Amino acid sequence: MKLRAQSRILSHVVLLVYVVIVVFPLLFVFISSFKNNTEIFNDPWGLPSRLSWDNYANALSSSHIGTYFVNSLYISIVSTVTTILLSTAIAYAVTRMKFPTLSKLVLGLLLLSILIPPASLLIPLYIMIKDFGIYNTPFALMIPYAAFGIPLTTFVIAAFLKSMPTELEEAGIMDGLSTYGLLGRIVIPLTMPTLVTVFILNFIGNWNEYILANLFLSNQELRTLPVAVVSFADKFNMNYGALTAAITISVVPVIIIYGILQKQIIEGVTAGSVKG
Amino acid sequence: MNKILRNRVAYMVFVVPALVLYITFYLIPLFKSLQYSVTSWDGITAPVYNGVDNFIRALSDEKFWVAFKNNIYFVLFSVFIQVPIIIVVSILVSGVKRLLDFYKLTVFMPSILSTASIAVIWQFIYSPDAGLLNQILKAAGLETWTRLWLGDEKTAFLSVLVTNGWQWTGFYIVLVLAGIFAIPKEILEAGEIDGAVGWRKAWLLTIPLIRPVIVVTMLLSITGAMKALDIVLIMTNGGPFGSSEVMATYMYQQAYALGDFGYANAIAIIITVFTAILSLIYHLVNKKTSKEAEY
Repeated sequence: MKLRAQSRILSHVVLLVYVVIVVFPLLFVFISSFKNNTEIFNDPWGLPSRLSWDNYANALSSSHIGTYFVNSLYISIVSTVTTILLSTAIAYAVTRMKFPTLSKLVLGLLLLSILIPPASLLIPLYIMIKDFGIYNTPFALMIPYAAFGIPLTTFVIAAFLKSMPTELEEAGIMDGLSTYGLLGRIVIPLTMPTLVTVFILNFIGNWNEYILANLFLSNQELRTLPVAVVSFADKFNMNYGALTAAITISVVPVIIIYGILQKQIIEGVTAGSVKG
Repeated sequence: MNKILRNRVAYMVFVVPALVLYITFYLIPLFKSLQYSVTSWDGITAPVYNGVDNFIRALSDEKFWVAFKNNIYFVLFSVFIQVPIIIVVSILVSGVKRLLDFYKLTVFMPSILSTASIAVIWQFIYSPDAGLLNQILKAAGLETWTRLWLGDEKTAFLSVLVTNGWQWTGFYIVLVLAGIFAIPKEILEAGEIDGAVGWRKAWLLTIPLIRPVIVVTMLLSITGAMKALDIVLIMTNGGPFGSSEVMATYMYQQAYALGDFGYANAIAIIITVFTAILSLIYHLVNKKTSKEAEY
């Protein structure tokens, strides 16, 4: 028994070291954001001498971080909702409707996506976006984001539908519901927990996306947060105070939301990866 | 009943929009990429067919090989350094009762932050003067170890790998942890009665039983390593002197810095083929191991 207690303490020590490695860099950035540059250089470990919001004022006034926040928010929401509506419909059609051969073909086509890394589609996508005339508009991100989310989201929803008994739908048909009625009034309400999971999964992915956002928008006003953070880093090169403040502004909202929705987020993100 | 579920129009309404979007933005770009990869093209004038020249060029392009090797280092780092850490930490977490949720919450956190923020945070950590890493080394009296982490050819890529590890290790820990908690209690109890405790238990029981989830972890880290792009692009942009270039960043430079779209697409195809082969191998291995691991 004594051995067990010892090994348990050892486990906690190792885990706490790991936790420190994860948290300390974030904390260091957060604390630095309240210091001025001299303090950051001369007293890197200490707490700031006074709680100064200068860095934040500096970061906020010299940029449009509010605009970027709103851009990220509506682009992520519109593309996520589009992905989920389209994926629910297709998942319902291929798992429930009686067109087995066609449905197999559709799923097989979607399955191809597993083999294709999106990064390798970057150049043709860039050319298509320009050809479609949506370069430098929010659609340049919303449409590809919505499209990239479809395969995985469809698989997750289809897997859930397959595990769901069909009795309620049969009862719905008895009550005279149409194909659309079945989807809207029975399937979607029953699938809600899964839909929340895939919403979170897609939303986080879109919210954090950098490469397309950097490449397909050149207008500063349209920027999303990840692009803005990187451009801050270039702009505030030696001004560590303002840089750490900008990082904090971009990271804190995500951490707060994570604190509130941790269970769903962990479930959503891990479910997505495994199914993929 | 069947009439409702054989409604052709409804089927089309449900399937076509998603499929059109998917094909337009997923499959068509892939075919276009294939098309462009056999051309010489500056992105402005018409592409000129040049056969497999681009692929031959890649084979003899030293910089491409540096990038390719870095992708391989990326894979090796994930498989031989990250995965063991993931397994050890997961087993430790699964053994504690107190603070379990706290550990899970904290280790998972970096994987929901944007790679852009993380790359910038670590640029700050690695920065020469005010950076956390050099400050720690100075405080520990290891002044001679301090260096320009991201500006030194020897350390730049390793620094990026560490950052990537910091971002994703916790995510995999939570994944493996779910696998450990899914093991039926009876099996573990039976093992304990037979004398499997501590590391013996982990080695002889837990690890073999979670093999499927370990395989998934390996697969995800390998494909992740093959397509790595944004973290390298932001932290080092492939530098210094191309020493931290990976295939995807090299492709990006060829297209957007040098305007060589034909060659860039050939590299894109090489990335796709490699990722596809590795994924296929692992899906096959995964199928086999999950059969073996049935209990």
